[in-house]
Amino acid sequence: MKLICEHITKQYKDKLALNDISLTLEQGKIYGLIGRNGAGKTTLLSVLTAQNPATSGSVTLDDMAVWENRSALEHLCFSRELNVSAESGLGSMKVKEYLRTASIYYRDWDSAMAERLVDLFELPVKKRMSKLSKGMLSMVTIIVAMASKAAFTFLDEPVAGLDVVAREQFYKLLIEEYTETGRTFVVSTHIIEEAADVLEEVIILKDGKVLLEADTQALVDSARYISGKAEDVDTVTAGLETHHPEVSGRAKSVTVLLKPGQSLPAGYDVSIQPLNLQKVFLALCGEEERQ
Amino acid sequence: MNELLTESKSIYLQISEMIETDILRGILLEEEQVPSTNELAKRYTINPATAGKGVNLLVDEGILYKKRGIGMFVATGAREKILSKRRTAFVESHLRPLLAEAKSLGLTKSELLNMIEENDL
Repeated sequence: MKLICEHITKQYKDKLALNDISLTLEQGKIYGLIGRNGAGKTTLLSVLTAQNPATSGSVTLDDMAVWENRSALEHLCFSRELNVSAESGLGSMKVKEYLRTASIYYRDWDSAMAERLVDLFELPVKKRMSKLSKGMLSMVTIIVAMASKAAFTFLDEPVAGLDVVAREQFYKLLIEEYTETGRTFVVSTHIIEEAADVLEEVIILKDGKVLLEADTQALVDSARYISGKAEDVDTVTAGLETHHPEVSGRAKSVTVLLKPGQSLPAGYDVSIQPLNLQKVFLALCGEEERQ
Repeated sequence: MNELLTESKSIYLQISEMIETDILRGILLEEEQVPSTNELAKRYTINPATAGKGVNLLVDEGILYKKRGIGMFVATGAREKILSKRRTAFVESHLRPLLAEAKSLGLTKSELLNMIEENDL
């Protein structure tokens, strides 16, 4: 199965939230969706799963339009970040009632798995949703996503509010489920570095556009942080794709993304360091504030 | 393979080096099965594609081989291969940086040789 979106735009009153996005999501991969606040991550996930109509463009699952199409939608699960208030219907629901509702909604719901995860996270199922902490709400969204067994599962900030132990549990769980079933997962997150090793492909959104879609390891391997005397740094990086230059006095540093076959000239007295995904992301998306 | 992953190097290279180190230390023996890609992925919480890339690197070098439908095994002679590979790489990875640092500190060749003697190789 393939989920394809073509030329998606989403116009809110005075904001173009998504600007001509085309993506192909393949079966059996873990994708990471990263971007700054307001980059359009949640909007994109909700459009891909037909929870929100696009202003223009199409989303198809194996050539079937996804919008209001039950036979396509039963393969998709979007477990969005839950915002509950005591007054809302959701807030007054008990956790176990919420999970029961999800079990009816998703055709392939795995109730044994849901129970196992409730135990793993020690989730208080008798509490009302409005009484849960931010982290516990994240656990609920993770349980729904996993137990839905949907072929394409979208998680929006699943680790928000989780402590480091629970975050590690989540990533282990994700890898386990992925290796055993080959489901496709799309995970949006702000905690980039922890997720980096898990994500096979990374999609970087910026201002409603896809800035970059790449194999995570290949992207990280192609990045170098070069620093030294400004003129040496300029000589070494001439003709290469550079980002985020910073100059202080005679010193300069810059991030380089090497294209296949490109390499840095040897013999110059500059420091060349590897970068992690978070630093690459900062180099690509952190530019404006500094100028 | 109980080492921790670091950020300073590609994950797939670290996976292949950990398997090599385990072979050198006798944790994994020749003709013995190595953990599967999925097992490695779970153990290190990394994408199975990355783990697979590390394993395949060793298959290409003849250090591991694949038994169809069973899994990956350590090849006979793997230990020797790894040793000779690492000895060749030693000049580039350890000796040259050491000489460069010695030079920048103004150490002479005989001072450096003395240090090696004193530290008992």
